[in-house]
Formats: sequence, C-alpha cells, structure tokens
Amino acid sequence: MGWNGLFKTLVKKLGPLKALIIASEAGRVTRKYPFEPPLISEEFRGKIEIDENKCIGCGACVNVCPPNALTMEQDNDTKVLKYFIGRCIYCWRCIDVCPTGAIRGTLEFELATNNIDDLHEMVVHEVVKCRVCGKPVTTIAMKDFVLEKTRYAEEYIDLDPYCRKEKFIKAIEGRFGYREQQ
Amino acid sequence: MSNSKYLKKSIWVFHLNTGSCNACDIEILDVLTPYFDAERFGVKLVTSPRHADVLLLTGPITQESLPKVIKVIEATPRPRIILALGSCAVGGGIWHDTYSTIGGVPELLKILDNLRIEVDGVYYVPGCPVRPESIIYAIALIKGLAEKKISKKVKKVAR
Repeated sequence: MGWNGLFKTLVKKLGPLKALIIASEAGRVTRKYPFEPPLISEEFRGKIEIDENKCIGCGACVNVCPPNALTMEQDNDTKVLKYFIGRCIYCWRCIDVCPTGAIRGTLEFELATNNIDDLHEMVVHEVVKCRVCGKPVTTIAMKDFVLEKTRYAEEYIDLDPYCRKEKFIKAIEGRFGYREQQ
Repeated sequence: MSNSKYLKKSIWVFHLNTGSCNACDIEILDVLTPYFDAERFGVKLVTSPRHADVLLLTGPITQESLPKVIKVIEATPRPRIILALGSCAVGGGIWHDTYSTIGGVPELLKILDNLRIEVDGVYYVPGCPVRPESIIYAIALIKGLAEKKISKKVKKVAR
C-alpha cells in the first residue's frame, strides 16, 4: 500500500475534506528517485573499481574475498583477474588488503541489467616466463614491483620455483665442495 | 528496451523468498512504503503468481525451495519476467559453492531450459542487500525510464 492507497483509506474513513487537511499538514514524504539524486552518503559502499595500471596481479584480493567475487585464472600466456559484480557483497576488504592501492571503492549502485555478461569485469595481465624451463612465473607488473623494492631479486625473479631451488642447491654444492672434481 | 512492449501498464509483482536472509525482503517492503512508493510506477504486490507479471526472487534458491520456485514460475502467465534481487539471487552470493543451494538464477535458468519452461526476460539487480533505490532503478529500466549504465569490461594491462 503506497501513498495513494493510504490517501484512499483516509478519504473512505474521514471524508474528502478532513483527509485533504490531514494530508496537506503532513506534506509530501515520497522521494522522486529516478528523477532526483539518490540518498547516498560518503560512507556508502558500492561497486569496486580496479585500476589496471596499478594492479600487479598478486592475488591478495582473491584470497580475502568472502564470496569469491574476485577470482584469478592463469593459463600459459595470461593471468586474468575476474570480478563478478553479481556475487560481490560490497565488504570492501579487497580495498584494505591491496598492496598497491589499485582497488578503489565507488558509490555506484545502479547496476541493474538484463544481461548477466554486463556484470563481469576482467583485468588481463601478461605473464613472465621462466628463463630455464619456460613455465609462467609471475606477471610483468609484479616483476617490476618486486624489482623496485629489492634490486638483487634480478637474479632469480624470472625463475620458476623449481628452477630457483635447483639453482640454490647448485650454489650450496659449490660452496661446500660437493661438486665433482673434474 | 525489449520488455517494455509487454509491460507498458502497471507491473504486478509476486515476491518469492527462495532461501534469503530476509534483508532483501525488508528492502522490497521499503520500496512499497510511501517513502519510496513504487506505486508511482504502478507496481503492486499481489498474493498469487497467477496475477503477476514479474516475479521478485531473493535468495540463492535452496534445493528445498527449487520445486516450489519452478511451480510458481509455471503458474505465472506468459509475458513473465524474473527480477533477481540481491547478490544471492544474481550469482549465488556467499552461498555460491555451498551444499543444498543451486547458486542463483543463472543456474535456475539452465534447469528451466531443460524443463522447457520459457521466461521472457531476466533482470539482475546486484547488492547485498539491494538498496530500495536500485530496485526502483530496475523497475525504471523495465519501463524504459532509465538507461543501462553497466557493461562488460575487459581491461588490458599496458605493455
């Protein structure tokens, strides 16, 4: 029962004149929403926005996302961060956890659509391949991010974990003299 | 607007909870009160699916409720539209991979497809819970008063 229904019952019970007086004293409460701005405050949590230039594809947001709205898929050439708005619960934990501040919260809530494909967002990363075995290791953005923090990581950043282990074992062997003498 | 040709006049809705936590249901109630007043658009809540044009589904569709949901959809007369409200109905929400839920309306549509029950349109309204304004926005979208704002995005990282 909306405003019109209320008014009709008032008219039925009191007569038109009394009802009109009561209604004019109360004034209008109804929001004209699609034709006027909505009632959202600064604290409102809407859809998140991922900045593809800041994102390094580390997957911290994927780990923390309660409903798995953010998922990561990796194949041989690309690493894709997928955001499915239809499953998001707008907790904004991904924003707290993002190491580079790539995820930003917006106040958007007008997300209704008749096609579910509209609710998908993707960030496509290129992948660095291992210089020994050729398997995908990290994303290019992640490699740049790590090299900025620690210079000496250059020696092993583009190595697969197994190749990295092998390299380490060889170094230890060399140090303790276990390598076969030629 | 593909569906506005069917629904030029008042939209009568039937509200069906398919295992939601009641938060979305409260927001539906809020939309129908004088403050947001969906009656401006001719939206009226009806008590029988036989009178309804649009079904408001909330919740991730539990296995217990699935036969009833299918019965209700069958009972609705033909230009029938589903309005999936809330993250649970749209994509399963936080229950998308749990036991005893089928995971939202997209999975329901596959089941309906196998049973050859046709649905004329599905509108997805994300939100946890949905804001009353986003429900009104969805109604405005059906009526052709508002434009769709969201689209699929594929962002490629530079270089």
